[in-house]
Amino acid sequence: MAVAWIGNRETLVERAAAHAAALLGSSRCPVFSLDTDIHGTRAAIALAERVGAAYDHVDGAVVSRETALFTDKGAMTVAPGETRRRADVVVIVGELPQIHHEFVGELSATVPDLSAPDLSAKNQREIFLVGSNGTSAPPLSNGRTATLLSCGEASLGATLAALRAQWKGRQTSQPVSNFDDFTKALEAAHFPVFLFSGDATEGLALEMLQGLITDLNRKSRASGLHLPASENGWGSALASTWMTGFPLRTGFARGFPEFDPWRYDVARMIAAGEADLHLRISSSIVQPQKKQTRKNRMALIALAKTQEPIAGAAVTIAIGEAGVDHEAVVYSGRTGSLRSIDARAASELPSAATVIRLVASHVSAEAALPC
Amino acid sequence: MLTKIAGGDIIDPVNGRLGKGDLWIRDDKIVAAPAGGAAERTIDAAGCIVMAGAIDIHSHIGGGNVNTARLLLPEQHAAHQARPATTPLSNAGWSTFQTGCLYAKMGFTTVVEPAMSPGAALHTHLELADIPIIDKATLAILGNDDFLLSMIRDDASSQMIEDYVAWTVASTRALGVKVINAGAAAAFKENVRTFSLDDVVPSYGVSSRKIVKTLQAAVDSLGVPHPLHVHCNNLGSPGSADTAAATIAAAEGLPLHLAHLQFYGYGTEGKRRFSSAAARLAELVNATPEVTIDIGQVMFGQTVTVSSDVMRQFSARGSAQPKKSVIHDGDGNGGGVVPYSYGKDFYGTMQWAIGLELFLLIDDPWRVFFTTDHPNGAPFTAYPALFELLMSREARTEMIAGLPKSAMALSTLAAVDREYTFEEIAIMTRAAPAKLLGLSDRGHLGAGAIADIAVYRRNWSIAKMLGQAAYVFKDGDLVVQDGEITHYRWGKALRLNPSPDKAMVRRLEDYHQQRYGLSLDWFNFPDSAIAREQPFGEVACRT
Ligand SMILES: [Zn+2]
Repeated sequence: MAVAWIGNRETLVERAAAHAAALLGSSRCPVFSLDTDIHGTRAAIALAERVGAAYDHVDGAVVSRETALFTDKGAMTVAPGETRRRADVVVIVGELPQIHHEFVGELSATVPDLSAPDLSAKNQREIFLVGSNGTSAPPLSNGRTATLLSCGEASLGATLAALRAQWKGRQTSQPVSNFDDFTKALEAAHFPVFLFSGDATEGLALEMLQGLITDLNRKSRASGLHLPASENGWGSALASTWMTGFPLRTGFARGFPEFDPWRYDVARMIAAGEADLHLRISSSIVQPQKKQTRKNRMALIALAKTQEPIAGAAVTIAIGEAGVDHEAVVYSGRTGSLRSIDARAASELPSAATVIRLVASHVSAEAALPC
Repeated sequence: MLTKIAGGDIIDPVNGRLGKGDLWIRDDKIVAAPAGGAAERTIDAAGCIVMAGAIDIHSHIGGGNVNTARLLLPEQHAAHQARPATTPLSNAGWSTFQTGCLYAKMGFTTVVEPAMSPGAALHTHLELADIPIIDKATLAILGNDDFLLSMIRDDASSQMIEDYVAWTVASTRALGVKVINAGAAAAFKENVRTFSLDDVVPSYGVSSRKIVKTLQAAVDSLGVPHPLHVHCNNLGSPGSADTAAATIAAAEGLPLHLAHLQFYGYGTEGKRRFSSAAARLAELVNATPEVTIDIGQVMFGQTVTVSSDVMRQFSARGSAQPKKSVIHDGDGNGGGVVPYSYGKDFYGTMQWAIGLELFLLIDDPWRVFFTTDHPNGAPFTAYPALFELLMSREARTEMIAGLPKSAMALSTLAAVDREYTFEEIAIMTRAAPAKLLGLSDRGHLGAGAIADIAVYRRNWSIAKMLGQAAYVFKDGDLVVQDGEITHYRWGKALRLNPSPDKAMVRRLEDYHQQRYGLSLDWFNFPDSAIAREQPFGEVACRT
């Protein structure tokens, strides 16, 4: 099976890596976009420092919204395990990414076993959904439906603001639907938990949600469960944070790491024609390279799980998928921490980390890379 | 390779070596002077003092809460310089890479991260593995976890409790056990807002004292070298000296380590009802030989508090500077991150003075440990300045002159003459930590010890001298020269490895399946997950 190409021509991995390194070495403004495991991220950041690249998640906007909650305001959060064991009221905030639907289903099928909640008499958790009429909730067990908390077609942020205001006893222009049920549930609750992600949620809504959680904690307990829109994205953000002090959208243009969520928005840098080389590391999704415009003569180096060269890529190197082709460390929304996973169907395909290190070994250097 | 560190002032209290002489290294170990041996490399240490590499027993250098603090405060650790060629990412502010470099430059070669949440063990070890040069170790947090609290409530046998503690230590690759505001995080989840030593955790009917005593006994009986590491209740509150005193009394003859005692050195005298109780606590420590403590010294300036004492951090949110914080209810402790700036106002001064009083009034340097509870009292980069305050009364007097008299009037600090000697510094930061952690291979310069060595050129400024070592060897490898890192190497995380009881593992498997809907596989990890050669070094339990 072919594993490396220069343009459309099949070649040895070693040669493709050397060519990729040469492109990186001569690039004026290289950018990396990542959708990879922890060790892939570590290797990519070490390489980014060496070649002065900026890096971001492939779906940077969503991860950036989630990191902004922490960099700007902070949050009250709870672990998924404690949510399962304590949450007697579960409030789904907006649409949650598909990857977390199973957990929400599990919450609806189980009851808390800690702190003997009064609601256990009903033998089920109360489940609410903040959103508009169009917001779809993950499927719940036994055909239950979540009680909708909405202000008609108002945005999620506006709905949360109304919810917060009403909870404080203030007048709102449009009342939140089923507010009395919500009040009743909260008053009886021991540990209500709000499930949120950066997906389909504007940043302001996340801040508003945290405001509501803060209000609730004045007299009783409540918290938020962060269910990252992308587990790889959040894992990369964590690894980036310990390696550079900063989350994703960090760049090394000046030799030291600078965090700037606008300037180092890699999608923006590509669209604006600032980047002249794009290293895309993703074992999951393969998107064809957009047609080159005059303004955008950006070269692509693609590390992807593929059996053929990526269209338009100057270099393509096949990589395996974390947890399928090779063992890996990944972020797990189910445990709220990093997790080690075995290879489900071990193959010869190298990990992203292995290939990135190979590329890096061809970039002239004074010292070995740290990872 | 045979190396001679020639003509330095050797300070090795463990082996009774004090004075000018040579120190020999063969490869990664210290050796006796070889008969007629010729050194392949000679380091001129004339005008220098030579000590073992320093060991920090309590510094929050990695893991979930520390990383959350980095994430919360990007504005506080911007880098400004291009990277040095040989040490990638070492200019990245507050990165793991910078952490290893800054410690090594000061001659520290082993650092303990004291608060690893067992569920985040893999994350913690991955961060530690990205800290270059030094060796690391962690303490696993227990005492707010449902499994333990339930066992205590249900009168489980001490054997079962030991099996659980042993499993936790082994599976998380820890060097010891820490308990943080025992029971309070569990109580906070049930809306309890203050919690003392004899308060009882709702739903369990178990007191904080009972949790501490249970863990203390289990740790001792398992032969874990490091005594139970206790973060007491009521951290930071006026009157918390009573809690610390009660906890010291609760040691009852068995070893117990109290972390960052400064944060409990607070009485309720004066018109602000906030005063120094340091003299009282120092006297208690002096009179209780089974107790060891570290200080958690406060130094003035901006920092961030990072703690698994979630109840305390929640109550401190209002004082956040800048105004943002993270409070996390975790599976056991969780934690909180609250940025804070220690000003030279009444309260900041009081805290600063109390820490120094404790350092100076506790007589035995084998039982008082040098920490700022990084970053809680101050970042560890304040160590050189702190050494100077301990070793120079003049430096203290100078500082005191610029501080509010109202605060100094409630402290005995100005009247204390003591100045730490280099020998006492060597005990407090080398010999004693090695002993406390059960690391017989370091903390001294005897033949057979690993060659972790710090050489400092004498200087009128103690801060300058101890802040930038002339030479540092890690495992015989010269990693610092003239205060600069020469290259990276990768240390180990030191761990105990008690073999877990099979019945306990089955029980825990069932428990995780039933209560979390997950198999234990979700939490276990192989050494290979760390992706470094030999990421761990094994330390033996006491037999
Ligand atoms: Zn601490």
